[in-house]
Amino acid sequence: MNLHAALSALVVCQVAAPALALVAIGLPALVGRAPSEPFTRRVVGSGFGVAFVAALITLATLAARGFRPEEVHLGSWFSVGHHEATIDLVADALSVPYVCFSTGLCLLVNLFAGKYLHREPGFTRFFLLLALFGVGMNLMVLAGSIDVLFAGWEFVGISSTLLIGFFLERGNATRAALRAFTTYRICDVGLLAASVVIHRAVGSGDFERLFGIDWPNGRCLVPATTATIISLLLVFAALGKTAQVPFSGWLPRAMEGPTPSSAIFYGALSIHAGAYVLLRCEALLENAPLAKALLIVIGTWTALHASFVGKVQTDLKSVLAYASMTQASLILVEIGLGWRVIPLIHVVGHAIVRSLQILRSPSALHDRHELEAALGGHPGPGGLWPVSLLPASWQQAIYRVALERGYEEMLIGRLVVGPVLRLLDRAAIAEKRWNRWLSGDSSRGSR
Amino acid sequence: MNPLPGFATPRDWLLAAAAVTVAAPLLGGGLAAVGVAARAPRRLAVVTAGIALTATLVMVAAWHLSDGTPVGFGETLGDGRLVFIDGLTTALLPYVALISMAILLVAPRRALDPASVRRALLGLAATCAVFLTSHPWALVVLWVATAQSTWRATRVFPGGRPAARVYAIYMSLACVCMAAGTFMLVADPPWSRSSGLTGTAGGWLVAVAVMIRKGIVPFHSWHPALFSGAPMSTALSAAMPQIGAYTAVRLLVGHADGVAVELEVLAIFGLLTAVYGAALSLVQRDLRSFIGTFSMSQSAIILAGLSGRLPMELNGAFCIWISSGLAITGIGLVTWALESRAGDISLETLQGRFWDAPALAAFFLLFGLAAIGLPGTLSFVADDLIVSGSLDDHLSAGLMVIGSTVLGGIAVMRCWFHVFGGPSPVDSPRHAILRREQVPLTILIGMLFGLGLWPGPLVQALERAAEGVLRTTPTHAASAHPGPHAAAQDGSLPAPETPDSSPPAP
Repeated sequence: MNLHAALSALVVCQVAAPALALVAIGLPALVGRAPSEPFTRRVVGSGFGVAFVAALITLATLAARGFRPEEVHLGSWFSVGHHEATIDLVADALSVPYVCFSTGLCLLVNLFAGKYLHREPGFTRFFLLLALFGVGMNLMVLAGSIDVLFAGWEFVGISSTLLIGFFLERGNATRAALRAFTTYRICDVGLLAASVVIHRAVGSGDFERLFGIDWPNGRCLVPATTATIISLLLVFAALGKTAQVPFSGWLPRAMEGPTPSSAIFYGALSIHAGAYVLLRCEALLENAPLAKALLIVIGTWTALHASFVGKVQTDLKSVLAYASMTQASLILVEIGLGWRVIPLIHVVGHAIVRSLQILRSPSALHDRHELEAALGGHPGPGGLWPVSLLPASWQQAIYRVALERGYEEMLIGRLVVGPVLRLLDRAAIAEKRWNRWLSGDSSRGSR
Repeated sequence: MNPLPGFATPRDWLLAAAAVTVAAPLLGGGLAAVGVAARAPRRLAVVTAGIALTATLVMVAAWHLSDGTPVGFGETLGDGRLVFIDGLTTALLPYVALISMAILLVAPRRALDPASVRRALLGLAATCAVFLTSHPWALVVLWVATAQSTWRATRVFPGGRPAARVYAIYMSLACVCMAAGTFMLVADPPWSRSSGLTGTAGGWLVAVAVMIRKGIVPFHSWHPALFSGAPMSTALSAAMPQIGAYTAVRLLVGHADGVAVELEVLAIFGLLTAVYGAALSLVQRDLRSFIGTFSMSQSAIILAGLSGRLPMELNGAFCIWISSGLAITGIGLVTWALESRAGDISLETLQGRFWDAPALAAFFLLFGLAAIGLPGTLSFVADDLIVSGSLDDHLSAGLMVIGSTVLGGIAVMRCWFHVFGGPSPVDSPRHAILRREQVPLTILIGMLFGLGLWPGPLVQALERAAEGVLRTTPTHAASAHPGPHAAAQDGSLPAPETPDSSPPAP
């Protein structure tokens, strides 16, 4: 077996291993024979473990040859006329370290959740969704074409939604899940449209036809106008998953899900999916100053927004959610500034710290008591917050704005969502009335 | 060359299988009418539908063994034959038979009395017959037969009279337009050189008939009404085979040069319906209304694709035809199973049904995701083809398809969370899924994911079918109207041209 074939097998393994675990757990569950807790945990853990080892070997091999990218063409998914959807994966200096990091985190969360969710009614469901997330994340990270990236992106979105609504009996959880899904779905328009534009521009979804895959030194192979359009669409897609203003309202509510999934999704991986896609397409962004400027503006705005709003939150998970939002925004600003390696390091560092904080959040009081016991008293006030230097009336105004989450949600609700839903509601009522008139049904009632 | 030495030719197999496909449910319906198997109506229904399904699979096999020449039999009118089998027929008939089989298997016991079985089997025979003909007058007669069957089943359903009346009004109008339009089209085909006003009016009347039959805005309101007021089996059997779309393919799409404006208008209204239906499904307050509006949206996307000029769009439309049909049938059947346990299901508050029926929740979710284009399902492939094809034609068309997909996705998840989320109702028992529900639902899901992960063979077969349909245009544009009753000499139609238009190798 030559090196290319061996690397291809390793890359495929990073997606196939969690996928097999998903099938091994999902099929019996679908026919009503949900596997036992230890079996579920071990199968999913083995899937991530195999993928992690494969990713480490791939990383070592790539490092040994100076991170020369390896493209893996798995053939055509389907083709009609000039339109072809290809299954291409790529192992390079961006994707392989990221897979090591993401699969390693999934493996750790798998271990943590095995204990944390013991005897929880949705135990199997959680691990199924975790495996689906792992498949989606690895597909997205290793994608060598926009079609594969979109597939991974969607898997991440749907697993995220279902995990936010994991505790189905809680009304708030289901509402939060629906809110997150709505945001994702609206922003997915960007990725879907970008996919279509890419297909029209280069005849297929392959990244190698769009920009040379030599991260971080890729070269844009399409005209600047096309690069700008694609970049703007990708930025729009990234805004949803990265919870940027005006699409940030779902993130604090997403903490309704189980703690392990909150840690891996909104502290570590899902929240950075948008940043990863932008880093992957950095060569396009380089030729799209408008998209970069937009990233800087939105990122800065969201960082300020999240920083202020996070300060007035009264529960730990919300504080951590806004802290995640702040850091994710700063990462987008860094990408907008044209940096490549720094945002990647920022992503990894932030993800590790934040997922640890979220995983420990249920024990926060216990940790606090231990800290106080070790210090022999209260650790004292935090650092100086610049707002405290402002006049009291200003402080109150800022406090009120922060408490209302910058009025962002209220404005969107009043100006966009409310009117649209009212209009649709009226249309639905008119439809019913028309049918009642046609059918000669004289019964009253608005619906 | 005969690929089955010692047996009849593939053409004979095709015709024999076609005959069985129609005769089996006809016979089953007759037996149910005279009281045979009155104590086991489900067995009679399932065996009959099973024979029909097997016959369609034989037809698929025979088609692939044949040289790809469309097979015609019986009277000819224009370019229509009384029995006509081509790639489209062999792709769609198994789908029609499969969803009928699934409906009969999942149907609750109280919905399968001998009279219902009779109506269902006769309806199946008529629907299969539609897909086996391209003869304009046969289509008109079968339109009336299938509509009448649906109307009767809705009318006798408790509380179904208002929906039956709405359905009757719309379908009467549709049948009148169809008959008048067909008469005019046959008398003066708009694709012939000497065509006049009559042919043009005929094209428009058939287009309007198709819009009504498919539930396209502004003729759509029967569609949600039928899902709300008819038995689920009746609504699914009436809406999912897409008889209107099939008629559009045979009478309009094949003659795109002569009816270009009509097709353009159909596409515009199809797209509007796709977006409007998806948007309406966001605010529905009960599960059946949701299915009605959502399926209206999905079905309209088919028409938008059919009206395109590219094989890719047509291919995408055929893919959506199958994928959305399987997925919505699945959603409908899960809904029916839930209703048989819990009664009508509201979407105004969280219903907490997950804890009663977790397996049904899983199936509903999978069918819902398969309907909204989850990667790995057939609808993802279909959406991809239709969006790319539409964008090649018109940017706004592609954006509207994307818009309807996005809105439909939100509506499906809203519906899932409202039905299955929330605290469990007090003292609700936990209902295990029945074997007769689980098997067909698993097969439908398996097909949606199997064809999504490995779409190549289906997409290629549909591409050949699309090219076959589009290839009809120049033939007819070039030749004068051959006149009615011009029977072919050997019963076969001209072979399609060979594959210079097949897709380039990847």
